[in-house]
Amino acid sequence: MAYSNKVIDHYENPRNVGSMDKNDDNVGTGLVGAPACGDVMRLQIRVDDDGKISDAKFKTFGCGSAIASSSLATEWLKGRTLEEATKIKNRDIAEELNLPPVKIHCSVLAEDAIKSAIEDFRRKQKAKRALQTQTQDDPEPAQEAQETPNAPSEGKRSLPIVSSQPER
Amino acid sequence: MNPFKILELEPRFDLDLDAAEHRHRELSRALHPDRFVGRPASERRLALSRAIEVNEAWRTLRDPVRRAEALLNLHGIDSGETSSAKADPELLMEMMEQREALAETRASKDLPRLRDLSATMRDRQARVLDALTKAFSHDPQTALPVLAELRYVRRFLEEASALEDELL
Repeated sequence: MAYSNKVIDHYENPRNVGSMDKNDDNVGTGLVGAPACGDVMRLQIRVDDDGKISDAKFKTFGCGSAIASSSLATEWLKGRTLEEATKIKNRDIAEELNLPPVKIHCSVLAEDAIKSAIEDFRRKQKAKRALQTQTQDDPEPAQEAQETPNAPSEGKRSLPIVSSQPER
Repeated sequence: MNPFKILELEPRFDLDLDAAEHRHRELSRALHPDRFVGRPASERRLALSRAIEVNEAWRTLRDPVRRAEALLNLHGIDSGETSSAKADPELLMEMMEQREALAETRASKDLPRLRDLSATMRDRQARVLDALTKAFSHDPQTALPVLAELRYVRRFLEEASALEDELL
């Protein structure tokens, strides 16, 4: 099976390889894998106070298509808001890279990585807000923080969720 | 195609590999084209296609990952790339760390460290194979996450062995 030129380009010159501090509150980390092939992919985003993704990094151990999918994802993520980032779909990645049907799951993995990085970031922000609320002496802003969650999509969770990623 | 049936072996994970190889050799000899010289074309074709099946069955059974997949397949459980099984986050975290450690030994050309990492992973492989045997004798459904771990472990060992060749 031949790789497309775009896959080869990303494979040979991967963009944004690296890592960021996963304990940083402004960093969201997505770690996903394809148990069927033994691939593992880490994608991280840094979100600035204006809600935009200012940086994105990835590290992928897997086939060329998995590397290219995550490399492309980091390129597309930079400068987007979280809302815009959730609109990146696996088929956009697969189309851009001309992935053959047997490699579509690599683009699915990249989409999962994006989603899980965003979730991780939102979870941290929520935990941080909850902590601020708890430690505040003045009840008024505390109440306000509770009543107006910034992420309505997570409204079903009323308690701060401890990061699902165990510490080393 | 059931590789156990083709080699007339009992379907189990802790297969006696020596016995299986012996059976493969016997059947291959019996189906060898030399034995079919002067026989009708239809018989020769049949012997050839059976010889190919026998070879493929042995290739499947001697590889623990493919052997496990074949067993799951017999139980009607999908374990291929289309299966939607998600990897355990803790396993992914560990494997990401291990693969990064491996990548570091490449950068530092640290052969002793590489051999250390490989030895640890080979111990782990032995434990995972035991766990797979137990899972299959107990409930094949519980073999899926163990198989996922085995795939990651073997991907690591393949990479480590390629890297060792490179550093030598």
